[in-house]
Amino acid sequence: MAEKEIPLTAVKVDALVVMKIIKHSSQAFPTTATGSIVGMDVDGDLEITNSFPFPVVEMPAESHFDNTAPNPAAAAPRAKANVAYQTEMIRMLREVNVDANNVGWYTSANMGNFFNMNVIENQFFYQKEMNERTVAVVHDVSRSAQGSVSLRAFRLSSKFMAAFKENKFTSEELQKSNLRHQDIFVELPVEIHNSHLINSFIHQLQCPNQSSPTDLPPSLAALEKGPFVKENVLAPNYDNLSLSIDPFLEKNCDLLLDSIETHHTETNNFQYYQRSLAREQSKITAWQAKRKAENASRATLKQPLLPEDEWQRLFKLPQEPSRLETMLNTRQVEQYSRQVDSFVSATTSKMFAVKGNLLPGETAK
Amino acid sequence: MTESDSFLHLARPLGPVAVGSAPTTAPLNVVIHPQALFSILDHSLRRNADQERVIGTLLGIRSEDGTEVEIRTTFAVGHTETTDQVEVDMEYQKQMLALHLKANPKEVLVGWYATSSELNTFSALIQNFYSGQGDGTFPHPAVHLTVSTEPGKDVETRAYISAPVGVTAERAADSAAFIPVPYEIRYGETEKSGLESIAAARDAESRAATIFTDIEALERAVEEVLGMIDRVSRYVESVIDEEAPASTALGQFLLNALALAPKVEPADIERDFNNHIQDILVVSYLANTIRTQMELSNRLATAQLTLGGESGNAESGQRGGQRGGKGGRGGQQRTQDRSGEEARA
Repeated sequence: MAEKEIPLTAVKVDALVVMKIIKHSSQAFPTTATGSIVGMDVDGDLEITNSFPFPVVEMPAESHFDNTAPNPAAAAPRAKANVAYQTEMIRMLREVNVDANNVGWYTSANMGNFFNMNVIENQFFYQKEMNERTVAVVHDVSRSAQGSVSLRAFRLSSKFMAAFKENKFTSEELQKSNLRHQDIFVELPVEIHNSHLINSFIHQLQCPNQSSPTDLPPSLAALEKGPFVKENVLAPNYDNLSLSIDPFLEKNCDLLLDSIETHHTETNNFQYYQRSLAREQSKITAWQAKRKAENASRATLKQPLLPEDEWQRLFKLPQEPSRLETMLNTRQVEQYSRQVDSFVSATTSKMFAVKGNLLPGETAK
Repeated sequence: MTESDSFLHLARPLGPVAVGSAPTTAPLNVVIHPQALFSILDHSLRRNADQERVIGTLLGIRSEDGTEVEIRTTFAVGHTETTDQVEVDMEYQKQMLALHLKANPKEVLVGWYATSSELNTFSALIQNFYSGQGDGTFPHPAVHLTVSTEPGKDVETRAYISAPVGVTAERAADSAAFIPVPYEIRYGETEKSGLESIAAARDAESRAATIFTDIEALERAVEEVLGMIDRVSRYVESVIDEEAPASTALGQFLLNALALAPKVEPADIERDFNNHIQDILVVSYLANTIRTQMELSNRLATAQLTLGGESGNAESGQRGGQRGGKGGRGGQQRTQDRSGEEARA
């Protein structure tokens, strides 16, 4: 593959795919919905032109990490049955001239809680088994409900891929590779792209044919029932302007609390490991000292010396817990705090606007 | 976009079909989800160069009494059409249907679409296949959706159901009377934001748009509102200057809108405002503090320290910091609850 040298730089999502993903994820909400995306890779721009959902199948947890809640849908992309489903579906799609290359998968998320093992394992599976140039598209349902659609594309960095392949997440390895939580995912900019037909259709959807100037409504009732007072106008979406602060903050606080909890458990694990390591090490030194003393006395008695490296068989050093979970958790917290930041920036301006509007005297001063 | 055509539905005697095998022709309402239309349009773009129109299957949900059909998903079906015969890839349609049902067990076959407004003999043939017994939608009528995709013209959508027609059974097999039915395009709250982003790309030369951040979206919305206020005030001014015809209804409407402004005590506003702004800022501050703390803890754990003792110390100190953070959080939640109560009161 000659074009392999050009790294993926951007993701172009077709309007059709945007709608399909939104539909699937909001239908499945609040459980996770996953599906496959197909498209083409044009000089580093990944064009996503179609998608289809994965069937939800019950599957045994094959993950080699402990899943707190085994969610069949979240793990679906790497289930064997779904790989078969995907190849079958792509074969079918090829017959009707759809770009029949698998370019990744999509998943739905709730309040940005998508930095977890499932996503990593899925994406790892895709980048390793299927095709190196694949992306994970994440659609955040609850963020989209607030006004602006939230669609993001991620890949695993090559550094992380290498580390994950060998499961090297001990402190030493991390020190060596200098892998940090920022280096797990590479985010790609997402662009929405319309076909000509969809473009013209949207134009049409927007303005009902207005050939003649409309007459003035005869009464209030007529005005309210008229063709222009329709709920479903597209472009100005005033959900952005709503001032509901508390639910969002509350939810974010909960999520942050959970993250702190996880972090706490992880540090505890690590401390436990360090304590037991220290204990084992002191035992070993004690044993070594004893053996040395014994050997010294044996030497004076001219007896054959006992081997001094037997401790390797006698004592087992505890396994260092993987730091991956902590790293992921940190990345997740970073995502939450970014989310809060962006929410705060919008909300404070809204609040000052409301205040200025309700207290006109204040602003004049 | 609701079609302004009105419909009059007349019951009429049915053709000579065996009793009990004819689908009902009761009127029904068709609801189309935008993604179904989008995929029809997409399919029409991907047709073979020599094909006039393409067809596909409509999947969706039928209400219990059968008077409303929601079209949710579509998939393309290959077919070839010559002057005297039509061939639809039935095997493909069956397999694809099975695949779709696996992922979407709730959706059922409701009909088919074609990408030209023309209704011909072949349409009738295909329609009879889709509404037939066995694989078809029987006993419910199959919905036929035509979406014209001629360049340079409006995208015209029409929905039909069919009734059997013809004097003999053989004639009835390849003919059908298409009855237009009303339809509407409906989308939900979550789809709205998606459509908005798609709509944002409609005026761009490249037909592409990036996804907005929160603050950008807010800016746009505010600009839209300002534009509308401008328009309204221009209209009102021109009415005052007696340039535009006045309308009592419009005046009443505007007055009603103005009356929506709440009347509240400045002190109350001040208090609520301060409470909320503090909430927001504290949460933001805490979130960032937690982030920094965790990052610090991770760095310390993996930094080039000598070994055991030091790193252990660093971590326990770290944990203390976290506890402090947690206490702060608890306090925060209390303030938040309180402000919630205030808001309710």
